[in-house]
Amino acid sequence: MKDQLARWPVRLVIGLVAPLLLIFLWQWQASAHSVTFAPPVAVASALAELLRNGDLLRDTLATLQRAFTGLAIGAPLGVAAGIAMGIWKPVDRLLGPLLHALRQVPMIGWLPLIGLWFGVGEGTELIVVSMSAFFPSMLNSHAGVAQVERRYLEVGGIYRFTTLQRIRFILLPAAMPLVLTGITQALAFAWISTIGTELLTGAGSGLGVAMQTAQVQQRLDIMLVVIGVTAALGFLINQLFRRLRQSLLRWQPAQS
Amino acid sequence: MNPHPHAREDLAQAAASRGALTVSGLDKSFDIGGKPRKILDGINLNVRPGEFVSIVGASGCGKSTLLRLIAGLDTDYSGELRLDGDRIATTSLDRGIVFQDHRLFPWMTLEQNVELALLNTDTPKSRRAQIVADHIALVNLKGFEKAYPHQLSGGMAQRAAIARALVTEPKLLLLDEPLGALDALTRVHVQNELQRIWMAQRSTMVMVTHDVEEALYLGDRVIVMSPNPGRIRRIVEVDLPHPRDRRAPLLHRLKDEILAELTSGADAAESADNLVHLPSREAR
Amino acid sequence: MAFPQGKAVAAAWAAPVALLALWQVACLSGLFPPQVLVPPSVVAQALADMAASGELQRHVGDSLYRLLVGFAIGAGAGMVFGAALALSRLVEAVLSPLFLTLWQVPVIAFVPLMVMFLGIDEPFKIAVVAIAAFFPMALATFDGIRGVPRNWFDVAKVYRLSLLQLIRRILLPATVPAVLTGLRISLTRAWVVLVAAELLAADSGIGQMMEMGRQLFQIDVVLAGVVVSGLIGFLLDRGARWVESRATRWRTA
Repeated sequence: MKDQLARWPVRLVIGLVAPLLLIFLWQWQASAHSVTFAPPVAVASALAELLRNGDLLRDTLATLQRAFTGLAIGAPLGVAAGIAMGIWKPVDRLLGPLLHALRQVPMIGWLPLIGLWFGVGEGTELIVVSMSAFFPSMLNSHAGVAQVERRYLEVGGIYRFTTLQRIRFILLPAAMPLVLTGITQALAFAWISTIGTELLTGAGSGLGVAMQTAQVQQRLDIMLVVIGVTAALGFLINQLFRRLRQSLLRWQPAQS
Repeated sequence: MNPHPHAREDLAQAAASRGALTVSGLDKSFDIGGKPRKILDGINLNVRPGEFVSIVGASGCGKSTLLRLIAGLDTDYSGELRLDGDRIATTSLDRGIVFQDHRLFPWMTLEQNVELALLNTDTPKSRRAQIVADHIALVNLKGFEKAYPHQLSGGMAQRAAIARALVTEPKLLLLDEPLGALDALTRVHVQNELQRIWMAQRSTMVMVTHDVEEALYLGDRVIVMSPNPGRIRRIVEVDLPHPRDRRAPLLHRLKDEILAELTSGADAAESADNLVHLPSREAR
Repeated sequence: MAFPQGKAVAAAWAAPVALLALWQVACLSGLFPPQVLVPPSVVAQALADMAASGELQRHVGDSLYRLLVGFAIGAGAGMVFGAALALSRLVEAVLSPLFLTLWQVPVIAFVPLMVMFLGIDEPFKIAVVAIAAFFPMALATFDGIRGVPRNWFDVAKVYRLSLLQLIRRILLPATVPAVLTGLRISLTRAWVVLVAAELLAADSGIGQMMEMGRQLFQIDVVLAGVVVSGLIGFLLDRGARWVESRATRWRTA
């Protein structure tokens, strides 16, 4: 039995059992309830429809743009803050308490306050997404610098490194794996909070907005298409980052 | 004069003329649980320029601490530590060190690691690549310049660390159990390499080890230390020219002597306490 | 021993106190109009008023109730699911592809779907929390069991432990750290998702309190919500960490 399960065709077939069962159940339920339950066939046609009229492409691009803009703002700031806090204790003492206090609030929980300040719209969404990207970048970068091994710093001492050389040749490269982990997390968080803020503000275009609209219109078929696209995109972006990470960290011994 | 002066010979002559280490009345204590505990007690030692000195002793005799003090990694001591008459107050490019763990930066290639040591020397940039290549060749690692440390075997990484330590042409090279983490066969191989390198460089070397055979094979003199607190117990002259033959009877006689010294006397009483008792057996 | 501990406590309190002082000073400086930022004293007043009227207790109570019920269901199911996945190759082969696919969907993306099926009442919020808690818990349990070193099973074989002894003496203690970490992550994730769900659709709870405050331009209420939700998140994390460190003392000891 175990040997059988190790073969990939067997695994593939067995792995398809549960999803197929689910679809079957769903189709069967759909014919019973008709209204809210969209059968799989309806989902496929909804996908075709959304692809044809360009709605899906527009929403996807809008969400991607928001998530990556937020990442582009939040992650570099987070990495810079984390590294500065890791290197210079006074910066840590100055910024640490404030940032750690702000971090405790669920990111989307900032939406009402920031919405009150800047109005519900693009700016508010971007701030929340940037904040979501900021914190994981900051925390991991900070840990990365703080965890640099003493023995490497001693080597810097032996060769009379200046502060700048120590940062450039030891602290930054040694922290790099965790910095990249932070950015990867930041990406995931930015992605989630983009969908979340879009759902909550429901303005303009975006996958979250499309979900919200589908919910109001009771269009399960559209909803499922959008959820599927969200999942697939999240997965793809993650894979992309994993590749990027591997090529940036060639110097690390191969991991499992 | 030779129209094509061999760089290695110049270097050897220059190094041989310097690198006299003087240790006198050196004391060192650590705070352990709020109480100061003496680690090194009244160490006196003169190392001649170009000499290879081995230090052996049981773990905890302070031999690695002594080396860290000479390197300038720890500057909190009382007594005198001088290299060519200058008091040691911090690290310096005059003193190289090789640690037990190679401490090559994992994010740099072998070549980059070695070149990094030249960062703060006044070696002209144009000559650095050549000097790095020479030293990589010296430790027999030609062809591995672009390898990352994790791609090197333990022995290769340790030789690379030796190349990095030598590239600044230090007057004094400190070796802190440099072969301690290697397997027995690799160790013999790197010992031979180390002897060859020292004969080529003729810079002063001080090596800490717990392997008496290794200490005798490489050292002009072997310093035997005893623990609690760390003291010099005996200094053994090894009157054999280099390169040496491992089978030399003198080496074996001295080895037996030193081992007897290390495992007898004051230590014996202590090691009796450390014996594992098997109460259940004794009760029967 | 008492002195350094007292010092550590003082240091831990220094930062929040300084932060509050900074906030108060920033407001008193007149740099920010009161529509934008009100001082902590006003927020404290708002909290006191809401506490006096019982409104605060109702919101916090409702949120915590949803959190606990949803978390218990989700984390419990996640643990069972993760264990089944780790222990049986057949279960893994059948369910892991579906599990890994669903795992790619941000939990928040399920919110509109669930609103459609469950409406916006209690079952919806509890379901959201349960789903948020389910995935990290299942993954942590799976990793925990799969991460038990093979050597330990060899040790069990050498000493001829029975299956029950193996589970009790080796499997359970070895997986406790991973499971506890999973519980902590599940709990904090569940809290974040719950606040988001309440913002979107609720008649009570911390999230709804903030959203109402925003719609009525009551900055003090919104800030009070931010403070309370941050405080609850902090306490949940700290509490879970405390349990974790208590239960896994053998690791560092």
